[in-house]
Amino acid sequence: MFPNLRRDVGFPFLGSVALFGLFVGSGLLYTSLQGGRASGNLITAMFIDAIMVVGIQIYIGNTGVFSFGHIGFGAIAGYTFALFAIDPVDKATRIADAPWGLAEVGTGPVLAAVIAVVVTLVIAAIIGIGLARSGAQSGAVAATVITLALLFVTHELARSWVRLTGGERAGLAFGIGDTLDSRLPIYLALFASILAARLFAQSRAGRLSKAAREDDLAARAMGINPIVQQTIALLLSVVVVAVASSLRVYEVGSVLPGLFFFDYTLLTLVMLVVGGRNSVTGSILGVAVITAAREVARRLGSEGYEFFGIGLDDAPLDWLFREGLPRVVLGLAMVGFMIWRSDGLLSDWEMDNWLWRTFRDNPKMPDLPGPLEAVSSSELQASDVVVAFGGFRALDGASMAATGDEIIGLIGPNGAGKTTLVNVITGMVPPTSGSVSLAGQDLTGAPSFKIARAGLVRTFQNLRLFGLLSVRENVEIPALVAQQHRSARKLPSIDELVAAAGLWEHRDRRASELDYGNSRRLELARAAALGPQFLLLDEPTSGMSDSESLQMIEQVRRMASLVGAGVLVIDHDLNFITGICDRIYCLDQGAVIAAGTPEQIQADPQVRAAYLGVSAPV
Amino acid sequence: MTELIQNLIDGLGRGSIYALLALGVAVIFGVMHLLNFAHGELITVSGYVAYAMFNQGWSWYLVAPLIVVVAIIASLLIERVAFSLVRGASDFTLVLTSFGVHFLVSAMFVMFVGARVKTFSEPGWIADTIAIGPINVEVFDLVVIGVTIVTLLLTVAILQKTMFGLALRAAAADFDTARLMGIDSNRVIRGAFALSGALAGIAGIFWLMRAGNTAPSSGIDPMLKGVLAALIGGLGSMRGAVLGGLALGVAEVVLRSQLPGEAAALTEGVVFALIALLFIFRPQGIISVATAERV
Repeated sequence: MFPNLRRDVGFPFLGSVALFGLFVGSGLLYTSLQGGRASGNLITAMFIDAIMVVGIQIYIGNTGVFSFGHIGFGAIAGYTFALFAIDPVDKATRIADAPWGLAEVGTGPVLAAVIAVVVTLVIAAIIGIGLARSGAQSGAVAATVITLALLFVTHELARSWVRLTGGERAGLAFGIGDTLDSRLPIYLALFASILAARLFAQSRAGRLSKAAREDDLAARAMGINPIVQQTIALLLSVVVVAVASSLRVYEVGSVLPGLFFFDYTLLTLVMLVVGGRNSVTGSILGVAVITAAREVARRLGSEGYEFFGIGLDDAPLDWLFREGLPRVVLGLAMVGFMIWRSDGLLSDWEMDNWLWRTFRDNPKMPDLPGPLEAVSSSELQASDVVVAFGGFRALDGASMAATGDEIIGLIGPNGAGKTTLVNVITGMVPPTSGSVSLAGQDLTGAPSFKIARAGLVRTFQNLRLFGLLSVRENVEIPALVAQQHRSARKLPSIDELVAAAGLWEHRDRRASELDYGNSRRLELARAAALGPQFLLLDEPTSGMSDSESLQMIEQVRRMASLVGAGVLVIDHDLNFITGICDRIYCLDQGAVIAAGTPEQIQADPQVRAAYLGVSAPV
Repeated sequence: MTELIQNLIDGLGRGSIYALLALGVAVIFGVMHLLNFAHGELITVSGYVAYAMFNQGWSWYLVAPLIVVVAIIASLLIERVAFSLVRGASDFTLVLTSFGVHFLVSAMFVMFVGARVKTFSEPGWIADTIAIGPINVEVFDLVVIGVTIVTLLLTVAILQKTMFGLALRAAAADFDTARLMGIDSNRVIRGAFALSGALAGIAGIFWLMRAGNTAPSSGIDPMLKGVLAALIGGLGSMRGAVLGGLALGVAEVVLRSQLPGEAAALTEGVVFALIALLFIFRPQGIISVATAERV
């Protein structure tokens, strides 16, 4: 579950303790300096907001899927909690004829919170299936709509189902003296949620989910089915949100539809994005910053210059110091941060990652391991593949075969169908007819993550790295998939692969910071880390100089032999192709027009005709 | 049967307003990939201007064109101070920017004008009905449907017959290529916001006529209707947006009259739930726009 116990459990635990201590400590310091009941209430509310925001961060931060709906889950949890926790005597005046005898139930707050979590989880699981279904096809927009719809459906229910919720006027309220009187449950929940968020982000599921956040298509090509991890993230985040919502209702002492609606959605989202949605530390920082800004704005709005301890008769800023100021500040913070710094103050910085990098023993660059025996029996076969887009046939009966100890080239003029063939083999484009198989196993039309797990892994013409993740993490992610889904072949370690790619000194840098050549090498190493039977490389030298592409020959050979994989490579650079390949297929207009050794291909009149555009002398 | 026809006309009247709003959302999504959650604020702004002018003694005939002008100006202004600064950013940034603008505008009205609802009188003919055979039709619905048809025809004419329309359609199909072909992206985007503002203004006239008031939070409802209708239709498809608006209007009216007793109050909730279901089973909306990613 955790790739490296010290890095992924030990340090996050220490970091969570530190983060919790700093946050709670500064809150308590403020109340003791400020004194008074109001400052205590402000800080209590801030702690609860922090739990809520960390809960939302678990989903948005790890999946990159934007959700308006978490406050909708909050409403479900908050009302469920209130229905069970409030004493029947207090319910009798508001919802005497509630359905299912809920007016007579009074379980006390702890059991009520448990029930709230369970009910919200069940609903989240159903919605999660919907999100997974739609997200798979069109990503963010559909998810936004579904979550927005959730927020509004719960709001409508809270407003209109008066028999159950007390509607907009009465709502549900605890009796006097029945509300939260100690901060202990808040502290426990806050620490637990920070720790859970950090542990999840470091766990195997969290890492795979972040890979999909960075690039969904590349993640699938690495054998990840992000739906699984995204659903885990959703459920975990909903548990935290449900706990936070129960605490919020308990602390406020009542619940009305407006408690969990647009205003609270805005507040929590602003807190999340100001601090940095990809970081737990950032979320907590955002909660603190926004709480402070809002409090200053509130007091400026109500006290005006008194806030600074000066009273002016003719105050020039009176137009600004008004009641609505906190809302304006929130709106400005949202728009301003999106324009100025959309990744927030901390982006993806985490305290424990920083501690880990500072205090770990620096490993030495590993020696390169010997080559791994290729599985020559694994034969990749594509037969009579046809892909028709409307009337246009991008592939028109193309066939090819390769064994696991070969390096095969795929050449042809632009539009010949080379990339389409690789897309069909790796499950990214469904063939109109024809079949693809690996070692006798039929893979035609299988989803791309299954094909990757079966042992066919590709790179992309337009680089698709996991940009925000480090170089080492880019290689680690397919290695995690390999541990679970690939055979027991002993693959080189992550560090060995990083070193073999010549990226050792860059291993802690973000992938997005690499230059072009290094990015290409990283993409190759990432593909190799899955331990595939075949590496399918789509133009690995595009945009490279002659000397760089010659180096790439070495690089491809080394990586393929390290993991014992065959290679299928598309390229335009004929020096590269003839220098590296055992055999070459030449495609033109969707069909194979020639196949053979580099020498045979170079001498083939049809190939020359296809490339030069003149008809071959017969 | 008569009830059904009556519902249908009522729903089309409502849906026409939604269609205009949705078309405005779709136009902007087409050029900027921005799902504009601030679209409803154009109606809030025009509502306050209308309220001020009614206090000056203006009549609806004078205020109506003013509303359109104000909506266009507000749309261009919002583009200038906010959206132009996040062009080309990720979907996440764009959605949150428009969400922030939505809140900012309403918060400014709370702060500078006050949270109270401002009422003004509806036009005298709003409740008039005329009988066509056995069916009683609201004059208002007929006017809305009529104006919407004219507006849509004009929009189609602009999109099909003018250079700007061609540029806009090209940009909606493939913004980067359109730029490479020499289309001035600033002009296209500003034009799109002006067109979107004009459509919101025309929808706003009817929205405000029926509401008879304006408040800082007035923008939420029209924004939701516009955004949802555009989504139902399939984002980016202008035809889809119009169909989505009409479908949403008819669905609301039919559900409200058909749902039993208590549940009728939940019409909005049911509509949202249906939309969520639609997206679970058909995430691309009614009309799908090809957005296949190149690999």
